[in-house]
Amino acid sequence: MSGAEVTLKNIFKSWNESPALNDISLDVPAGKFTALLGPSGCGKSTALRIVSGLEEPTSGQVFIGGHDVTHTLPAARDIAMVFQSYALFPHLTVAENIVFGLRVRGLVRKQRDEKLKATAQLLGLSELLDRKPSQLSGGQQQRVALGRAIVADKSIFLMDEPLSNLDAKLRAEMRDEIRALQHRLGVTMLYVTHDQVEAVTMADQVVLMNHGRVEQMASPRVMYETPATLFAAKFIGTPPMVTFSPKLLSHCLTPNFLQKSHGLTFGIRPESLSLSDNGLINGTVRNVEYLGADTLIECKVGEEILLCRAPGWTQLTEGTPISLAFNVKDLHVFNTASGQRTAEMLPEIEMALSSQNASSKLAR
Amino acid sequence: MRNSAKHQWIYAWLLLSPAMIFLITFTHYPAVQTIISSFFSTGRGRRKSVFIGWDNYDTLLLDEVFWKVLVNNFWYAVWTIPLSIILSLAMALWVNDKLRGRSFLRMAYFTPTVLPLIAVANIWLFFYTPGFGLIDQIRGLFGFAEQNWMGSPDTALYSMIAVAIWKEAGFFMIFYLAALQTIPPSLREAASIEGASKFYYFRRVAFPLLMPTTLFVSINAVINSFRLVDHIFVMTEGGPNNSSSLLLFYIYEVAFDYWDTAYAATLTVVMLVILTTVAIGQFFFLDKKVHYK
Repeated sequence: MSGAEVTLKNIFKSWNESPALNDISLDVPAGKFTALLGPSGCGKSTALRIVSGLEEPTSGQVFIGGHDVTHTLPAARDIAMVFQSYALFPHLTVAENIVFGLRVRGLVRKQRDEKLKATAQLLGLSELLDRKPSQLSGGQQQRVALGRAIVADKSIFLMDEPLSNLDAKLRAEMRDEIRALQHRLGVTMLYVTHDQVEAVTMADQVVLMNHGRVEQMASPRVMYETPATLFAAKFIGTPPMVTFSPKLLSHCLTPNFLQKSHGLTFGIRPESLSLSDNGLINGTVRNVEYLGADTLIECKVGEEILLCRAPGWTQLTEGTPISLAFNVKDLHVFNTASGQRTAEMLPEIEMALSSQNASSKLAR
Repeated sequence: MRNSAKHQWIYAWLLLSPAMIFLITFTHYPAVQTIISSFFSTGRGRRKSVFIGWDNYDTLLLDEVFWKVLVNNFWYAVWTIPLSIILSLAMALWVNDKLRGRSFLRMAYFTPTVLPLIAVANIWLFFYTPGFGLIDQIRGLFGFAEQNWMGSPDTALYSMIAVAIWKEAGFFMIFYLAALQTIPPSLREAASIEGASKFYYFRRVAFPLLMPTTLFVSINAVINSFRLVDHIFVMTEGGPNNSSSLLLFYIYEVAFDYWDTAYAATLTVVMLVILTTVAIGQFFFLDKKVHYK
């Protein structure tokens, strides 16, 4: 079994005038793990259902393995799907649920049993084959749903928030398991989730969606390090990137420069800020959240709130004045109106700030 | 401790008693009294009713009309029960789909249930009228001869069966429709991804999940096949030559036209035995095959 690539080309989908998907184009590389990420209502599940064929796009094309399957029935698309609710047949046993599709396709009993045995072993379900879904725990039901997908020998797996009904511990376990399974089977995985941690930890490629559009399509690392939009910057990361107006740095930028930077938004990751004796940003501690390895410091600077991730042993009390330093390379610049990442003025900003940095170091 | 336990008993009885008084007065006592009456003669004028043992039952075995209505009732049940269930299921599946005018269709199917059977019978009386009734008019278009649907012994019973099915199917459809809507759509989707046809999905998934409803509906259908006789009063009065008479109609005739109440009680016992046996049998036989959520 090996994967096939999936391509969506200019997909539009609307229900009674209200658009759900607005010109979606994306590539899911063969044999890779792609996560469709976004807040609820962003259209990610609709996109998945269009790939599966359960929903037809209003316009646009779907390609699987290079073939146009826009109007092909779900069963002929070489896909297997795991539903959020698992969609197990409640009156059938675990074994019957797993081989349901094989029976539909008229596979002989001997082959069915062999495949069932192999799949059950792979997922640790061998002891549970005679049970009904209602007699299983959430995690076990999830495995049965996976089993039904695996046994079908399809080259593309579609998963619609498969872990959202599990508790936190089990979710972490299943995350590893699904990831390992995808590696082992070599299938193409398209995985819908609203949990950015899930997407970042599991996927080779993340497709971030918002309001029926693709915000960014990149590897988790690229998406974290260079978010293409303000939305991406604020969606990825725990806690997400903090954004602020250039005015916050007014004391170290020339008035001329400030005027030019009107209409820009700066962003910085909490871990890029560090406590310093004389950094560029001066504020007061508003709140301290102790997380064990780290301490999150909420710092009030003028009207804005910045977040700084400091080592766990840092001890500060509210109201203490602090100074924060950062590397200019870690500063992200966005156009406020369009939300797009921009490189315009970046050299000027770098120059202005690094000279300030130098002078503040000098003063020390 | 003992005191409070005692109080709870009193509460329980107080809460149960209103329903129980009615049940005993109108159901259990009459049932028992019926069985007792069936062993007595009918009292007339000065002749008091006396214990006659199995005499009524001997009469019953020799009563040709009794056997006739029993056979009629058998065919009535054999046709109405499966047909009304199949029809109601088909209608429910249809109006459960996404289609135009769905709510209108649902209402239309349910209308016969709302109408009193007496009114329904009058409508059908017009349908069946020889010559200018609706059915004969339609048949006339294709050049068929007139047919006296209710007046001929060959067709009278089947005319009654058609009315009963028409009346019942919409009612059962509502139960099927409610059950269908509790089946999550993702099951349908999962099956279609596996390549299951509509029919395969129905056979392996939807129908088994509807079994509790089928059990409920079929028990009701059985009871109704003995109980629904109102239209016979209006349409045929059991005729011609008892060809459309059913057990309950015959019981009514014996009891309130001929005033032979003891014999009517005997007939009623037969009906009770039949209904109880069928209901218990159905429950135990089908219950094993029913998946309850």
